[in-house]
Amino acid sequence: MTKEIVLEGLKKLLTNEQINVDADDLYDATADRYKKYAKAKKVLDNPSPCAIVYPKNSSEVSDLLMFCNQNQVNVIPRSGKTATEGGLENWKELAVVIDGKNLNEIVNIDTYNMQATIQAGVALQDLEDELRKVGYTTGHSPQSKPVAQYGGLVATRSIGQLSTLYGGIEDMVVGLECVFPNGHISRIKNVPRRAGGPDIRHIAIGNEGTLCYITEVTIKIFKHFPENNKFYGYLIKDIDTGIKVLREVFTNSYRPSVARAYSEEDARQHFYHFHKDKCVLIFMAEGPQAIVEATGAGIEEAVEKFQEGIIEQVDSSLIEDWFNHLNWSQQDIDDEVEEMINNDSHSGYTTEISADWATVSQIYDNVIKRIRSEFRFADDLTMLGGHSSHSYLNGTNMYFVYQYTINCEPEDEFRMYHHPLQTIIVEETLKLGGSMCHHHGIGKYRNQWTRQEHGSAYYMLETLKEAFDPKGIMSYGNIYYQEDAAKYQQ
Amino acid sequence: MKIICLVKFTPDVDQFQYDYEKNILIRENVKLVINPDDACALGFALGLKKKTPEVVIEAVTMGPLNVTAMMADILRRKVDLATILSDRQYVGSDTYATSRIIGKYLETADYDVILTGSHSRDGDTAQIPGQLAEYLKLNQISQIRKIDQPSMLNKRALVEVDSEKYLETYEIPLPAILSVGRESNYRLPFVRYDDLDLDVSDRLRIIDNDSLAVDSKKIGLKGSPTKVIKSYPIDYQKKEQVIVKNDDQGIDMVMAFLEKEGYL
Ligand SMILES: Cc1cc2nc3c(=O)[nH]c(=O)nc-3n(C[C@H](O)[C@H](O)[C@H](O)COP(=O)(O)OP(=O)(O)OC[C@H]3O[C@@H](n4cnc5c(N)ncnc54)[C@H](O)[C@@H]3O)c2cc1C
Repeated sequence: MTKEIVLEGLKKLLTNEQINVDADDLYDATADRYKKYAKAKKVLDNPSPCAIVYPKNSSEVSDLLMFCNQNQVNVIPRSGKTATEGGLENWKELAVVIDGKNLNEIVNIDTYNMQATIQAGVALQDLEDELRKVGYTTGHSPQSKPVAQYGGLVATRSIGQLSTLYGGIEDMVVGLECVFPNGHISRIKNVPRRAGGPDIRHIAIGNEGTLCYITEVTIKIFKHFPENNKFYGYLIKDIDTGIKVLREVFTNSYRPSVARAYSEEDARQHFYHFHKDKCVLIFMAEGPQAIVEATGAGIEEAVEKFQEGIIEQVDSSLIEDWFNHLNWSQQDIDDEVEEMINNDSHSGYTTEISADWATVSQIYDNVIKRIRSEFRFADDLTMLGGHSSHSYLNGTNMYFVYQYTINCEPEDEFRMYHHPLQTIIVEETLKLGGSMCHHHGIGKYRNQWTRQEHGSAYYMLETLKEAFDPKGIMSYGNIYYQEDAAKYQQ
Repeated sequence: MKIICLVKFTPDVDQFQYDYEKNILIRENVKLVINPDDACALGFALGLKKKTPEVVIEAVTMGPLNVTAMMADILRRKVDLATILSDRQYVGSDTYATSRIIGKYLETADYDVILTGSHSRDGDTAQIPGQLAEYLKLNQISQIRKIDQPSMLNKRALVEVDSEKYLETYEIPLPAILSVGRESNYRLPFVRYDDLDLDVSDRLRIIDNDSLAVDSKKIGLKGSPTKVIKSYPIDYQKKEQVIVKNDDQGIDMVMAFLEKEGYL
């Protein structure tokens, strides 16, 4: 098989307009934001895909997958291109990107049954805008909301900034349609709940393009009461105080939609107008009036209980203002690329982990200590900190944030900075029994720890791959470690 | 072709923090870095070597032995040879004595051209290249913004020089001393990941005055005619910090500021 033969094959399945071989677009499809700096500097050394294709329906997706499966061509499903962990990076000489651009229909908004059906290429913002017109919301609000699309949101098990009220994407997906490498199209029906065997939605949710191509999703929708929103902000002594207050709120069964604790360093960059070099704790209570009032009272009670760690309360309008300017638009993403090209710098990276209440602060401290003492280029760090932004009954996440002066060639940046830093975070997390990936997915640069993440349950994950993608054509390198491709990681 | 690049290591003044209350520079933890103009000269040489691998580059510095690690890093950036002129007797040398020491070494060295920076950032001196030229009886030119690569290989360097009023082009027969300014923007490549721990000890030489044999009366403090009459720290003014809100009033303030400062 050669690239030319792959293109010939694609032409038999699609029209010319559905096949993109533009050199710039293929370069763009070579990697995602994990290697954003090397990509902006045009020094990527992994292969570009042969083509980007735009199927118009699940039957075309099915034909494409069968063709690639028969001819051992790597398939990279693609939606809004906001992937951060290498999920869209290509490690094969023969690869085709299947982009959901033409799967862009909002199929149905059903306010009576509180659900909406959309095709995989629908941008979250577009659905949200439609729902708002009729007083509803998706409840899903990742920072990438203006750009990310449903295929990617489901495939990465994404989570939004209001997760503590509405849940992660896995709590929202009612049913879906997906296509497997052998061309089989599965539709999982939309019911409130069932005990019909294991929950097969989870084979598609979070598969990161390694098992199937998601073509359509049905999600829950929620009534929206923005006029009732209440914001709370506090300067606090340390991040551990923040974690304790969060725990108090959630274990008392309150569900604020936003609940976050920031380290001093991270607070400095988010709350420049009021942080006073302290850690910051914030909440937003959302929903019907009575629930908001009760949630607010629960927050104040928890804050009161840990009074000795609370320095002062912050004007709530400052928190509201911050919240309203949080999302990243395509323009912000493009601006960062310009910045990288012109100024040899970028806006940093993040690694998100989760752990139970008892260990999360310990992981945070261990990571910070180890990076400061062990990371070879610690002197170049201009920012190292983190925040907890998604809490649960039994624990919370920690979103490590790091920025540095880039004192290396763009080709080496991920090896010298990003990957060693992420390695420390992952190792310290796994050591204490946490999860190395709270919401960005494993992608390609954490796959070396997938076995350790899952332990004896890795057997189940491995068996899924063998069953659904026996020829290994789906998103080579995502989730599952590949010895042959280690050269791209080292 | 053999190029000698003279380099000096200076405190990274951009990273200085200033104690506005005591009016002093906080010198702790300030790193030494390659003088920016010298880095540009070295950057040009390495660029030429990348295109023409036969080019051989030697970096030469005079200084205390604590620059050894930084010279090793220069070798890891693909420079062929590094020479450190270091001796306790050299301590306190002014630019005149320094030129004599470096000149003595260069007299015996093999080269087609010597590249230096135009200015030294720490003392804002620019005498060494001119004094060296005098010592070695070579032509020298400063404030170079651009060097034509092929002309170097043809032994007649075409250089573009910033003479403040004009950009002038000169042709200089080699050997000569070409002093490059920071405005040239020649970029010094970083050490590549695979070379971070490369052993370069066999390409790094340390030469003391036993070997160089410069007359000890002509070096160090006693060999330095320069007398410092007065030195004073720069009096930095703390910049006023204004935090504005992300609202119309805040935006108006930022716009007014940018206009006042001539950015808009
Ligand atoms: C500025 C910014 C902010 C972010 N904030 C958040 C946040 O708050 N919460 C969060 O969870 N994530 C966040 N992310 C990460 C990212 O936005 C999410 O992972 C998002 O879900 C990806 O969606 P996408 O449409 O951009 O997918 P893409 O980037 O196109 O793809 C992501 C992955 O999903 C696979 N995939 C895409 N479409 C399909 C499909 N149809 N079928 C099967 N697999 C598919 C791809 O192969 C890839 O591995 C952020 C990213 C950025 C850049």
